[in-house]
Amino acid sequence: MSPSVRKALPVLAAAAVLSAVPAVLGGSPYQMRIATLMLVLASYAVAFNVLFGHTNQLFLCVGALASLGGYGSVLLVRDLHVFPLAAVGVAAVLSAGVGGFLSYVSVRRGFGVLFVGIVTLAVSLMLHNLLLGLREVTNGETGIVTRGLGVGLAEDPYRAYYTLLAVLVASLWAYRWLFSSPHGVALHALSEDEVSAELSGIDVTRYKVACATASSGLVGLVGALYADLNGFISPSVYTVGHVDIPVLIALLLGGMRTLLGPLVGAVLFSAVDELVRPFGQLTVLAYGVLLVVLFLVFRQGAVPLVQGALSHRLRPAFRPAGLAGGASRAEVGGGGPEAGR
Amino acid sequence: MGVVLDGLVLGLQLALLSVGIVFVYGLGGVLNLAHGQVAVLGGLATALMLQARQHPVLSGVVGVLAAGLAALLLDRSLLQAAYRRRGEERLLLALILTLGASFALDGLFTLRFPNVALSLRLTNPSVEVLGVTVRTASLAVGALSLATFGLLLAFLKGTRLGKAVRCIIQNEAGALLCGVDVEQARTVTLFASGALAGVAALGQGFFSYLGPDMGPEFTILSLIVAVVGGVRSLAGTFLASLLLGVVNAALSYWVGTYLTWIALLAVAVATLLVRPEGLLAYWP
Amino acid sequence: MLEVRDLWAGYGDMAVVRGVNLQVRKGEATAVLGPNGAGKTTLFRAVVGLVRPVRGSVRFEGQSLEGRRAHEVVRQGIAYVAAERELFPQLTVLENLELGAYARPDGFRERLQAVFDLFPRLAERRWQRAGTLSGGEQQMLAIARALMGQPRLLLLDEPSTGLAPRLVAELYRRLDVLRQQGVTILLAEQQVGAALALCARAYVLKDGRVVFEGFSGELRGSSHLHAAYLGGV
Repeated sequence: MSPSVRKALPVLAAAAVLSAVPAVLGGSPYQMRIATLMLVLASYAVAFNVLFGHTNQLFLCVGALASLGGYGSVLLVRDLHVFPLAAVGVAAVLSAGVGGFLSYVSVRRGFGVLFVGIVTLAVSLMLHNLLLGLREVTNGETGIVTRGLGVGLAEDPYRAYYTLLAVLVASLWAYRWLFSSPHGVALHALSEDEVSAELSGIDVTRYKVACATASSGLVGLVGALYADLNGFISPSVYTVGHVDIPVLIALLLGGMRTLLGPLVGAVLFSAVDELVRPFGQLTVLAYGVLLVVLFLVFRQGAVPLVQGALSHRLRPAFRPAGLAGGASRAEVGGGGPEAGR
Repeated sequence: MGVVLDGLVLGLQLALLSVGIVFVYGLGGVLNLAHGQVAVLGGLATALMLQARQHPVLSGVVGVLAAGLAALLLDRSLLQAAYRRRGEERLLLALILTLGASFALDGLFTLRFPNVALSLRLTNPSVEVLGVTVRTASLAVGALSLATFGLLLAFLKGTRLGKAVRCIIQNEAGALLCGVDVEQARTVTLFASGALAGVAALGQGFFSYLGPDMGPEFTILSLIVAVVGGVRSLAGTFLASLLLGVVNAALSYWVGTYLTWIALLAVAVATLLVRPEGLLAYWP
Repeated sequence: MLEVRDLWAGYGDMAVVRGVNLQVRKGEATAVLGPNGAGKTTLFRAVVGLVRPVRGSVRFEGQSLEGRRAHEVVRQGIAYVAAERELFPQLTVLENLELGAYARPDGFRERLQAVFDLFPRLAERRWQRAGTLSGGEQQMLAIARALMGQPRLLLLDEPSTGLAPRLVAELYRRLDVLRQQGVTILLAEQQVGAALALCARAYVLKDGRVVFEGFSGELRGSSHLHAAYLGGV
């Protein structure tokens, strides 16, 4: 097996498993819809993983960027009669541009994680109010029925599922390619310590802005496809609570800075969401509790945990770095005598 | 004229709401995103007391104390995990944890008390002061806020613990070396922040009404004030609140809710862009 | 008075202080010498509870300080003047001194007078903000603030940092007065000459370990110091 094939293996395996899902579900429209929405969430999470996990940019505007894609494409088709596929592309580019701009400004102003969070949150809320306020164009809270304004994903659940699957697999593949290229090392250095990275000649600004642009483009694209497959959009389907929080939870569940973390997290999150959905407002409560618990006790996520357990079994001598927290204290005392000799 | 007065009173109320988030940030290096929910909890407690036909003053006091205790609980539980870390990591952990707490509380309120709302009606809707007709609610809220601020100032300038709080904001290590119990000061501050937010919730009840779903709105408002005013001083928060209160009242009078929100958020973003170091920058 | 036994402390995975034994006698001035990174600051921070020791014990006047937090140690009678001075820049000199007496508010006036007698400059500048003082004045304020808590043991971390030689000499004259008044001093310093003149006993720290302990007189002109700074033991 050549190295490039081996690198692509997890992506191919995920693609194979996910392609078989519709056959297993046997065409139940409801379950197909859940599965498709899970792919939407996973794609958002892939983008957010690059943004937050790898480049320390806490973009609390994933939903807002998705709404740019959704509203952008729908309005282009409805009001300017743009060809639907082109409209989706234009909307994704718009979203990429906005995300890249936000990132550029933040890096230039030297914003830490808190300021980026506040600024992007403020932008999210501004856009939300704008969509509500521009009633003549967007119908405000009533929303827009998107049937006939997209590429026809709402009519055919299979088409919707496989389109989203293609986008997800492509983004996973791009992620894999990026991190096995020399850029991967640069990004790793950047996520560890930005100042050191800059001092070793890595153009931190360029990497952050490029990552934000690409991720925002992905979010915009998926947001546009979501508008189509959902058959309806309103400002409330793209709020922080409906998009950003699930994305954050999914990424934490699956594991930050891993290839399959976003996907695994999205699967787990969708399962939990299905369990609490019948109880209405309980979902909000459940999101909150999940977020707290995950961040307190399960910060590394499922994928690193499984990987750790597997490699532990295969190579008993190997200990994953994430589990060494408890041992480090003892090492201060224990490691000393040898070092001092 | 009426708009300006309403705006000023709204500003006072905003100041009550925001001073807590600002102080907690200055003191503990954590941004409490569940701050608005704490205020709502106080308001709901008062509403429930009133439903049970308790005395209004008692109900108000219980509400304020409930909000204070909720914030205290947050400090003693979730935030302890954050305090164990330093700098950016502490900020991030606290940010996510309080975000989670805010969602949990929001869900709890709308689930358990979907129809509870706090609305305090005064017997006379308006009175005439120096020839100008003024809403009684405005006067009540104004007086309540000013009195509360008087108490806060007296605490900060006049008591040992208040002085300690001010000096921790300037230099935590220095305060420790003077024998100040930073943890205790933090806990007291969290309680005070919650109680002040509870008073703000009562003000909201006087003005119009307070519902179980208003937590996020309160949090965002206090965040905007914190960003615009910075955490350098009580004065900064106070001025920013009054300014934003008047802007808010004037804009919602002339251009409607949505544009008002956009304008307020734009002011916050612009402040961050123009002089980020001056605002919220006390913690290195 | 202060007894440090087999103390290990550090940050994260890195041990900076590796098994230090040290004694400070009542009424004496003791110096801890050594190059940058020898572990002097970490040792002091571990003593006052700003860094939690991994192993070993610290006893002050016979009582263990284990698990005490910094403000409790300060209240116990140990004052720590950090190299960074840790003043409150926005507060006035007087307010800084008031805070120094935070743990012991009684007898404030007398102690203020005593501190002003020792550092007359501070009396002149009492209404000035601490952030606007010169480096030497800030160092004096930091020491004065520590004295306001009426400590029985004063830990001074590199008090000469950033001061001109003339100011260093002046500072050490004041420290000598303090010592004669009966304040026990533990001093970390890179300015070896000044420190040895003040202190009766000295320890030399290198790589987190004590490589020499004894009287100052023995140390002067001996090879230990040289070795500690230039490597090789």
